[in-house]
Amino acid sequence: MALAVDHFSRTYSAASGTFTAVDDLSFAVAGGEIVGLIGPNGAGKTTTLRSIAGILKPTAGVIRIDGHDIVADPIDAKRRLAFMPDEPHLFEYLTVAEHLRLVARLYGVDEFDRRAAALLDELELTGKEGSLPGELSRGMRQKVVIACGLVRHATTLLFDEPLTGLDPIGIRRMRNTIAARAQQGAAILLSSHLLHLVEEVCSRVIIMDRGRKIADGTCEELASRADLAAAGSSLEQIFFRVTGHGA
Amino acid sequence: MIAASLYIVVCSARNRARMRLRRLREPRYLVGAIAGAAYVYFSFFARLRTARVGPRRRSAAATPIVLASAMRAGAAGLVGLALFAVTVAAWVLPFDSGLLAFSDAEIQFLFPAPVSRRALLLHRMIRSQIGLLFGGAIIGIAMPSVSGYARLRTSIAMWLLLSIGKVYFTGISLARATLASRDARARRAAWLPVGVLGAASVVIAAALYQALSSGAPPSMRELLERVAAAIGTGAAGLVLWPFTTMARPIFAVGVGEYLAALAGSALVLAATIAWVLQTDAALEEAAAAAAERRAMHSATQASAYRASRTGLTLAEGGRPEAIFAWKAATQTLRSVDRRNMLRLAAIVIALAAAATSLGRGNGVRALAGSFALAATAFVILMAPQVLRVDMREDLRHLDVLKTWPVRAAAIVRGELVWPGAILTAGAWTALALAEIFAGTSLFSRVRLAWRLSAGAAVAILAPALVFAQLTIHNAAALLFPAWVPLGHQRPRGLDAMGQRLILLGATWLLLIVSVIPGAIAGAIVWFALGPLVGPAAVVPAALVCAAAVAAEVLVATEALGPAYESLDLTAVERPE
Repeated sequence: MALAVDHFSRTYSAASGTFTAVDDLSFAVAGGEIVGLIGPNGAGKTTTLRSIAGILKPTAGVIRIDGHDIVADPIDAKRRLAFMPDEPHLFEYLTVAEHLRLVARLYGVDEFDRRAAALLDELELTGKEGSLPGELSRGMRQKVVIACGLVRHATTLLFDEPLTGLDPIGIRRMRNTIAARAQQGAAILLSSHLLHLVEEVCSRVIIMDRGRKIADGTCEELASRADLAAAGSSLEQIFFRVTGHGA
Repeated sequence: MIAASLYIVVCSARNRARMRLRRLREPRYLVGAIAGAAYVYFSFFARLRTARVGPRRRSAAATPIVLASAMRAGAAGLVGLALFAVTVAAWVLPFDSGLLAFSDAEIQFLFPAPVSRRALLLHRMIRSQIGLLFGGAIIGIAMPSVSGYARLRTSIAMWLLLSIGKVYFTGISLARATLASRDARARRAAWLPVGVLGAASVVIAAALYQALSSGAPPSMRELLERVAAAIGTGAAGLVLWPFTTMARPIFAVGVGEYLAALAGSALVLAATIAWVLQTDAALEEAAAAAAERRAMHSATQASAYRASRTGLTLAEGGRPEAIFAWKAATQTLRSVDRRNMLRLAAIVIALAAAATSLGRGNGVRALAGSFALAATAFVILMAPQVLRVDMREDLRHLDVLKTWPVRAAAIVRGELVWPGAILTAGAWTALALAEIFAGTSLFSRVRLAWRLSAGAAVAILAPALVFAQLTIHNAAALLFPAWVPLGHQRPRGLDAMGQRLILLGATWLLLIVSVIPGAIAGAIVWFALGPLVGPAAVVPAALVCAAAVAAEVLVATEALGPAYESLDLTAVERPE
């Protein structure tokens, strides 16, 4: 499996006590698969993605990227990973081109110039190479983050709300980009509140609520489950039913 | 509008005080507050008490008072000259007084409100009063005086002086914005103060030249007396009148003289406010531009970076530390206005040239040498605390750095490379100037061999001390991230001041501890080689000491790797 999450838990400590954001979560994503991670606010989606990316340390459990433990073997695991967060976090003093070159240097990207030029064209960033993040719109900055993620040869791609701030043309292009990367063999885990996007793009869906996995399967499999059969066949209907918000 | 401004000021101050009191429930703020309160007590209030009851100490402190009395006649003029120099420098090296730095809430609530831009400026002036009053009070408390009355007088005088500065620097910002205006009338009005200041500079420079060209002053005191005499009369005295008037309340003797001086200072403040308010069109534009900048800043978290060419290219291969050095160098080069740096360099070179040509005696060279020595000490011992282009800045980007496939120890080391390099370069430059000026004046009786050897030893030790301190600061950022302000964030309050003091004290203590093994090894070398090579033995001794500290830095960065790995994002303090 390209991505394997095994009994993963994450707890936050605060002055008011401890809070378990993710509790005993297990799932796997194979190469070529696009898995949607959905759930209401506070379900633990972002904590899961950030832990897989190596930003947060798991309180319990194991996360492996191509067999490399993100805690025990972080460098080899991170080399195979690309994380595209919902908030475009860039160095405000580096230009678009310098961000890409920095990523290329960090991850050892071969044929960087060709790949970067193709990517800038694909994401409609051509002409913005010399711009600083402060000179770009939010959508453009989001595209830069995605370009930094895609310029390297990652086997596992993590997208956290990838369409935030994009215009309709950008949204369509991004859907195509994600699908194309999966066809090339990448394992993709995508978190989004846009259920129609998840339904359209993802081959499988994981629904989380209050830190726990409450459903896992294709839309058809979920719709055919006995306890969800009455909800309806759309992902939105299943989501409301399974999270207890159904009418 | 004034009532609304006062309402905002009172509510903000009350709520801020409440919030700071509430956070004292957290130990780190409580410990910081205790340390801050102890510092304030022992620095200011304890001195008040001992000054009242300690006649012996008073006599011990008599020497500077006698000196001050001797200089009293010209003191206001000398301070006025310094204020004039600052005023000229403000045109050459413009900086923002912050008066037009409207907050997000002010932009949202006050800009669409039916109030004039002048009213907005008055609002900002009212809002700045708490800070100015506090600044004046601190200076009054800190002054070496024996009576509370004298402290009160100084506080009021300083408050007026700071208020004038705040408004005046805003006026400069506004006038600068209009220098290239298409409106000829506005352009003329903006150039007028430049022309006046230029003419005034010529008058004062001529007076100073006349005073110093007749023969080199043998001492610093003689130098100051000559300068005071030259600028106190004639055209120079007339030109410096507004500046001397601002300084006069600080040195006034007796109630009558003080009140008269205060009235003069208030007159200068009124004239400055009138000058700023008459530039209404520029004020409109500047306020709007400041609001726009602020809005842009909030939206992008960007500061004043420009997408300029740096001439630096990231190599395709090599050690990962180089990536961090390149990143920090790019950040520095993009945040520095090169034109201002060139102007600053020109000023330093001009002053150095003046000191060299005028100071055949000891006065001017000794002054320049003292400044250079102070600058060397500051760069080596204090600047690592101030320059934060390392992990302290990069904690903001921790969620990006954590995804990078780079060894943690290499990240820690990489963060130190650039700030260490530029601080070392700064220390060497200041040290070279100190060797030239202080070496030929303050230490002219010391043998040349000793002066050169000591200078070389300091030059060798400087990078070791700088890197050691940077390592300690970065270790603190990784081990106690909640105590370290992020980026340019400067938390205020007694507790935050206490936290900074504790960190500074701990840094210096650790620095001393880390230097001890190297110092012992260096001392052995010194005692072994001293009888053979004389003063030059201090150079290999410094080399041995620096090598020991460098080895400790390397070991420490390796040891900090696990701390970086286990650093939790949630432990990093976000801005208030």
